[in-house]
Amino acid sequence: MITRRTFLASTALAPVLAARASAAPNGPLRIAVVTTVYKYLSHGQHIGDRFLVGYPHNGEWHQPNVKVVSLYVDQKPEGDLSEARAREFGFRVYPTVAEAICCGGKSLACDAVLIVGEHGDYPKNEKGQILYPRYEFFEQATKVFRDSGRAVPVYNDKHLSYSFEKASKMVAASKELGFPMLGGSSLPVTWRLPDVEMPLDAHIEDAVMVGVGGSDAMDFHALEALQCMVERRKGGETGVKAVQMITGNKVWEAGDKGVWSKELLSSALSRSDTPMGLTIKDGRTQDLVGSGVLPGLVPHPAAYLIEYRDGFRATMLMLTGAVEDFNFSARVRGKGLVSTQFLLTPVPNVTYSACLVSKIEQMFTTRKAPYSIDRTLLTSGILESCLTSKLQDEKRLETPHLKVNYRPTVESQYCRA
Amino acid sequence: MPETTHGRPKIAAVITVYRKYSHAQHIVDRLLDGYGWNGTYHHPPMDLVALYVDQVGKDDLSHERAARFPAMKIYPTIAEALTRGGSKLAVDGVVLVGEHGDYPRNEMGQTEYPRYKFFEQIVSVYKSSGRSVPLFSDKHLSWKWEWAKQMYDTSKSMGFPFMAGSSLPVTWRIPSIDMPWKSSVSEALCVCYGGVDSYDFHGLETVQCMVERRAGGETGVRSLQAYRGDRFWDAMKEGAWSYDLMKAALCRSHTLTPARPGFNDIFPTREQMRELVKKPVAYTYEYNDGLRCTMLLMNGLIRDFNFAARMKQPSGILSTQMYLPMPDGRTTLADFFSPLVHHIEDMMLTHKEPYPIERTLLTTGLTAAGVESLYRNQTRIDTPQLAIRYEPRRESTFWRT
Repeated sequence: MITRRTFLASTALAPVLAARASAAPNGPLRIAVVTTVYKYLSHGQHIGDRFLVGYPHNGEWHQPNVKVVSLYVDQKPEGDLSEARAREFGFRVYPTVAEAICCGGKSLACDAVLIVGEHGDYPKNEKGQILYPRYEFFEQATKVFRDSGRAVPVYNDKHLSYSFEKASKMVAASKELGFPMLGGSSLPVTWRLPDVEMPLDAHIEDAVMVGVGGSDAMDFHALEALQCMVERRKGGETGVKAVQMITGNKVWEAGDKGVWSKELLSSALSRSDTPMGLTIKDGRTQDLVGSGVLPGLVPHPAAYLIEYRDGFRATMLMLTGAVEDFNFSARVRGKGLVSTQFLLTPVPNVTYSACLVSKIEQMFTTRKAPYSIDRTLLTSGILESCLTSKLQDEKRLETPHLKVNYRPTVESQYCRA
Repeated sequence: MPETTHGRPKIAAVITVYRKYSHAQHIVDRLLDGYGWNGTYHHPPMDLVALYVDQVGKDDLSHERAARFPAMKIYPTIAEALTRGGSKLAVDGVVLVGEHGDYPRNEMGQTEYPRYKFFEQIVSVYKSSGRSVPLFSDKHLSWKWEWAKQMYDTSKSMGFPFMAGSSLPVTWRIPSIDMPWKSSVSEALCVCYGGVDSYDFHGLETVQCMVERRAGGETGVRSLQAYRGDRFWDAMKEGAWSYDLMKAALCRSHTLTPARPGFNDIFPTREQMRELVKKPVAYTYEYNDGLRCTMLLMNGLIRDFNFAARMKQPSGILSTQMYLPMPDGRTTLADFFSPLVHHIEDMMLTHKEPYPIERTLLTTGLTAAGVESLYRNQTRIDTPQLAIRYEPRRESTFWRT
């Protein structure tokens, strides 16, 4: 038996802990769920529920071989479902993260931890970031890991933290303690229309991603969708040298000056099924870029300008009012334009989150993250720095801290089967 | 006024009604305003120069479109549209969209859209001009089998390219797969939604565009049986179609109604399905080579088109969703019309049909047989007239780029 003392002693020599299972080899994996809220259509509910009632995957209704053994919910607003789920599916709701992970005992008593710190009533900082306690939940989990001398896989929904410093600590802890970790958005893994991947080692000359919705929620999704494509460029990911966020008329002026490519914006929007404006009025198709209607449709545009350390530049445009879906286009040497829509399927099924849950389950069962947590780390940092730029008069900010190197997986990770 | 360029085909559109979200609006607008295609904004290399609109209501858009596109003239008759006011055929292709508008419904529940009547007037101009040009006809050929057969026979005897049908066979598929060429299929079905003599046709085309690729080619259908209400649930229980296959198709849906409050995506039990679907409809039909297929309308359970087939070699289930991003609500554009219009353009340019008209002749006959079976108290209908043999093209024609 490993005590805390022997654990600490052994980690000095071999800092990586084996993320071994506590359950019987063929028994269901025991999962602890840690969420901010568990109410209808919160991320906690639609991700958590899939481990309880299954989900559509590869043309079947897949019932994961897992048992949710405990739940911690930080807030129980009206519509809370946590106690109802606990009763129906035979687990307990615990008052602290540590107790949930230990199932009320003194040491780690689960095989995986699912952290969903999205939705709920939390304050915003001056950058407009919602201060979800993802880092705090994660810290409480890793403390149990350290105390128990054992670590298990952790999924952390969306960006790791509003703070890159905290996000870095989270990734460092997973590397130190040797447990697999996955995070991020469902956009990188959802269906694509068309079903296209960025070729590995592509010579990407320029890229534009279009997103819609509010800041520090939907902009993260768009940035991670962009990142999952451009990380496949020649040389792999090397990190980001500088960012700048501009808003209002400066966005259109930057387009006129060629800071971002109108050709790529037009290409990305050609993938949209949701143009606004005259399409709403009478159903017509529209060349939103060529017709010049965009400034009239988008009262508050924002451009997230990203300069990578290898010299590559990409732009994420938040164009709420122009369309309602997420579309990408890049110019690739030798291939022309590579463009697609990241399909966000309708409410309430939001089947795109089933694509994500299949990746989470894969990590929980194989103890190997299907793609690098560094993608989510870098995206978390890009977002934070862009919001800092906005706060500091939209000036260009050097980002030496975003020297995040990683290689994407050779095989594609999005839903296509 | 922009003159049409030499060498660009001139097109006439003959439609029932031009209002927001009518089929004609989706199709004709794409020819006028262009549409997103292959990752750029595409303007068709042809000119829509003549329009006939059968019904002009308060919500009409044809005059707004004609004002914005002065090269397109509105004519009071089909003959005048095709001759552009002259005496002889003066266009290089015709688009017939006889869907939507206020037309009588007959006792069998069929809307009597005047597709056959329009077709007859179109070919009358072809005949009197001594020249025929490619023709696209939206959805099923006619509500009446005999007329559909006559349209088919006329196109063959006059020798003009003729394309018809639904956008379901050509839209995105999720996942992006086709029926493997010359594969062996033992059963197939489509679970979809909508009404009889309407979306049933789309479901039948969904099945047909997949199973026509099977080994031996298409042999036609020998009988059909429709079910509704309690008899639908009895037939499901008795295995008139495979429940496993139906479940596989439903697992491709993005719009599964949650059977329990508080859950957003949960697979229903058979009892819950029955609670959710108040008016189910099924058409089961048997092909001349023994293949059995089923089209299921399950309003209340889903709002998309999902296909599944049991394969013999290699054994297993092949399934996909034919993606219909339907306005209003989920999208603002009915972009499944984009691949359809692109195939129309190809036919106008190359004078080659992108896929066999026999597919739509067969599904037109199946739709009529389904309606008739329901009308005749859900009796089994023999369909010797549907012994339609054809070979599709090997290359896939659905939207992939």
